[in-house]
Amino acid sequence: MNKKIISIFFLLIILLSIALVYYSYDKVITDEKQFDSPVETIDEDNVSEEIDDTFIEEDEEIEIGEMI
Amino acid sequence: MKKITTLLIMLMIFIPISSLAIADEAEEENEDSDIDNKTVEEIKIMNNSLGAEIRLLQLQKSIIKNLLKGEMAVEVLEGLGYNTTTLEAILSEMNNTLEEVKAANTSSNESVQIFVELKSQAKNLTTQFRETIKELLDGEKLREIRERIKEMVSAELENISKMIRNKIKQFNRNQLYKLYGIIGEVNNSFVKKYLNGNVSLAEVKLQICKTINQMNKERRYEIFSEIKKGNIQKKIHAQASIDNMKNKVKGKGNGKGK
Repeated sequence: MNKKIISIFFLLIILLSIALVYYSYDKVITDEKQFDSPVETIDEDNVSEEIDDTFIEEDEEIEIGEMI
Repeated sequence: MKKITTLLIMLMIFIPISSLAIADEAEEENEDSDIDNKTVEEIKIMNNSLGAEIRLLQLQKSIIKNLLKGEMAVEVLEGLGYNTTTLEAILSEMNNTLEEVKAANTSSNESVQIFVELKSQAKNLTTQFRETIKELLDGEKLREIRERIKEMVSAELENISKMIRNKIKQFNRNQLYKLYGIIGEVNNSFVKKYLNGNVSLAEVKLQICKTINQMNKERRYEIFSEIKKGNIQKKIHAQASIDNMKNKVKGKGNGKGK
């Protein structure tokens, strides 16, 4: 009886450790992915996108919804 | 034996608690989506007072537009004999929001927070008005009112639109000079043409793109990186402002709890 309880106890500890290790491993991988962008090759579209981002369109409006 | 059983029970309690804590953390991270992507885009230019001024003026314009539409709708409803007390109360609150936007200090560090809060207020009031009027009228009448207010003309709106257009031109002129600074050549006559309205913004962008694309690979890469750096800095600034706002809100929330 005693042995059974001890083995369940250790099994639980092992399971818990696996869960914690998996969680921290997964978090590290996610964090790394955010910084791991591929090396860019610049084409005309890339330049134009960045230029677009630099300016504001003259007819831009703030949308707060329609009254009716 | 007893000790082992107690330990086992404690462990069984601990596992669900720890998983709950992890889930809670994930939930906190999701709170970031409270501010919609459009608003995040809008606050990117608010790292200087001209950008902040533009966004607050644009918000002013949207509120004025909705106020005018609301007032016209109330007039029509009154003519038809409806009780408009609730709608008028919403319009009065919207007017207060407009006054707050007008009074906002564009050079203050808190202009982003003010903009986000007042935009959200204006959005909520607009939704409230729309929902209330929907309860009063059927689809046919709503369509009629919508048609009537479509032709709305207002000197106040036209003035503010002009003001915004001028400020945006100033902003774009500054950006253009920044780009010329990175590229290493200035075309003053082109800037003048843009300011006078002889050249459109699309043409300005095209000209800049052409100039960059004509350069050799290394120089093009250098310029591209420099422009991208500036744009990333704006994004970082916007994110920092959002984080700052959230911390303040959290701080207030914790304070209330005490």
